[in-house]
Amino acid sequence: MRLIHVAYKNMQRRRLRSALTIAGVSVAVAAVVALVGAVGSFERQLLAVFQNRGIDLVVAGATTVQRLQSNLEEDLGRRIGRLPGVKHVACALIENFSFPELDVLGVVVRGLEPNSFVLNEVALIEGRKLEPGDGDVMLIGKVLANTLSKRAGDQFELVPGRSFRIVGVYDSYNLLESNSLVVPLDALQDLMDRRGKATVFMVVAAESSQAAVESLAAQIKPLAPNIDVLPARQYVDSLIEVRLARAVAWFTSTLALIVGTIGVVNTMLTAVFERTRELAVLRAVGWRRATIVRMILFESALLSMLGAVVGCAMAWFLTQMLRLTPTGRLISGEIGWYVVAQGCGLALLVGIAGGGYPAWRAAKLLPTEGLRHE
Amino acid sequence: MSNARTEATHRGATSECLLCAQELSKFYPDGRVQALDRVSFHVNRGEYLAVMGPSGSGKSTLLNMLGALDRPSSGEVFFEGRPLSEFYPWDRFRCEQVGFVFQSFHLLPALTALENVQIPMLETRRSAAERASAAESLLELVGLASRRHHLPQTLSVGERQRVAVARALANNPPLLLADEPTGNLDSAAAEAVLDLFARLHGEHRLTLVVITHDPALSRRAQRVLRLKDGRLIADEPVEGAGPVSDQ
Ligand SMILES: Nc1ncnc2c1ncn2[C@@H]1O[C@H](COP(=O)(O)OP(=O)(O)OP(=O)(O)O)[C@@H](O)[C@H]1O
Ligand SMILES: [Mg+2]
Repeated sequence: MRLIHVAYKNMQRRRLRSALTIAGVSVAVAAVVALVGAVGSFERQLLAVFQNRGIDLVVAGATTVQRLQSNLEEDLGRRIGRLPGVKHVACALIENFSFPELDVLGVVVRGLEPNSFVLNEVALIEGRKLEPGDGDVMLIGKVLANTLSKRAGDQFELVPGRSFRIVGVYDSYNLLESNSLVVPLDALQDLMDRRGKATVFMVVAAESSQAAVESLAAQIKPLAPNIDVLPARQYVDSLIEVRLARAVAWFTSTLALIVGTIGVVNTMLTAVFERTRELAVLRAVGWRRATIVRMILFESALLSMLGAVVGCAMAWFLTQMLRLTPTGRLISGEIGWYVVAQGCGLALLVGIAGGGYPAWRAAKLLPTEGLRHE
Repeated sequence: MSNARTEATHRGATSECLLCAQELSKFYPDGRVQALDRVSFHVNRGEYLAVMGPSGSGKSTLLNMLGALDRPSSGEVFFEGRPLSEFYPWDRFRCEQVGFVFQSFHLLPALTALENVQIPMLETRRSAAERASAAESLLELVGLASRRHHLPQTLSVGERQRVAVARALANNPPLLLADEPTGNLDSAAAEAVLDLFARLHGEHRLTLVVITHDPALSRRAQRVLRLKDGRLIADEPVEGAGPVSDQ
């Protein structure tokens, strides 16, 4: 028999109370894993959009709070392209469309030049790519095509009264891309009444060493007032949408973690008060304070780790539920091991934080306490 | 703090002396009465001592001092000639040198008999397998091998107390302290516990200090201490009991 075994048996003795505490912790873990995990997976996919194409720098408007609405002159792209260290530059106008009547919200529409390097490796499964001179046509990602039941050759109304012909369907393991639309840059500029404007420029440096990229960034920066020139990771981090989602996910999770911790404190403190005599006996038969503390911490850690296991299962269900919501197309439904590890790590912290005070109270009990009157 | 000095300070101490109480007094902070009043005596190694006295006379208080559960307000307890204060930390001392038996057994309700016996062993370096096998033999010693997987509430009170005795012996201490061990037992169960004590005393050379109200128990001891109002009023051999070495 080991100490952990004693802790386990003690926990088992109070079944209902333990189960309720575990439930409390599991909600917190589920929130962390599902919400923080979903935001994290969204961020990674967004980052992958840039990284998969070797994009070193993203140029976006500095002053706009919402970067996705930054308004840059298209001409900036040509000037960037003339810099010696630049291999490729692509200009993109990015818009967000929703089709409430189809129950599809938050579709990213990218306006790109038909010969843009961004479209080089697009994996067509139907139809053709964009071609110079194309008018109101679009490429559609496979997942979105399925959601909308569209295929190459179909028409799709982006705004009432303006139909785009689907010329190709592409596949991508990146959910963000496979849930988006690509239209010719001029068509989107025209549609949105933003002629000559762009949201971002994506730059591939000729040499992608950090020093080269940094010096290129320094060269681009003075080309226009109020622009930010950022590595892709920093750009994604700076997006207000990403930050907001992250903050909401962590805020919710933190509240849940606090509630879970209070539950553990409450349960363990009750257990310590109920077991005053028992703990005194343990001290009398030679247990050190440290051993008592370890036993109580083991008990609370067991509660919280079981909460973590249940919480991960709940997170899986929650994620599947989130996918059924109108914006849920962007959730991959896979839960990364690091998110699970993060949830379990936080659960362990909940256990130790929640068991700490009760353990201290238990250690303070004198060995004679509770032995006196039988 | 030499041995010569500590032994010299206690009259009657011999080389066989395991435990000496010297002028022990105890005032509880919230108590109006003095729980112990300058109590002195010694216990030889291998001796079987009963402590008697009316309720509130300070018996449990005395046992707490002897077992390093509490410290006296004044006076000193010597173990093997050294003051208890030298045995700090006392957890270790209690773990290795003392076995406690309580009136209400105080077994952990969630653990089986076998597991309860192993509780004090968790403070030792013995491996889990060694602990389990040591606990098995202790349960055998107290005649409860067949009950090893029973939870305390499924055992009779007499059996519970014998499990508690096995737990007290877990780390093979030289000294067993018991506070009214038969107080909650019927006479048959009490008899079984007393037989067990007699064996531990006779065969295993344990030193026993047992608080009791039970004349049947005190008759089986070698010496009886009587307390009244915190004072030692008698320290006398039990008739018919031989000296330690004859046992
Ligand atoms: N922790 C304590 N705080 C205050 N007073 C105490 C405490 N423990 C014991 N006392 C008092 O000290 C005196 C001796 O108590 P003790 O428990 O040693 O007596 P006892 O001889 O064991 O009695 P009993 O036979 O009823 O067990 C009593 O008056 C008791 O009320
Ligand atoms: Mg008492």
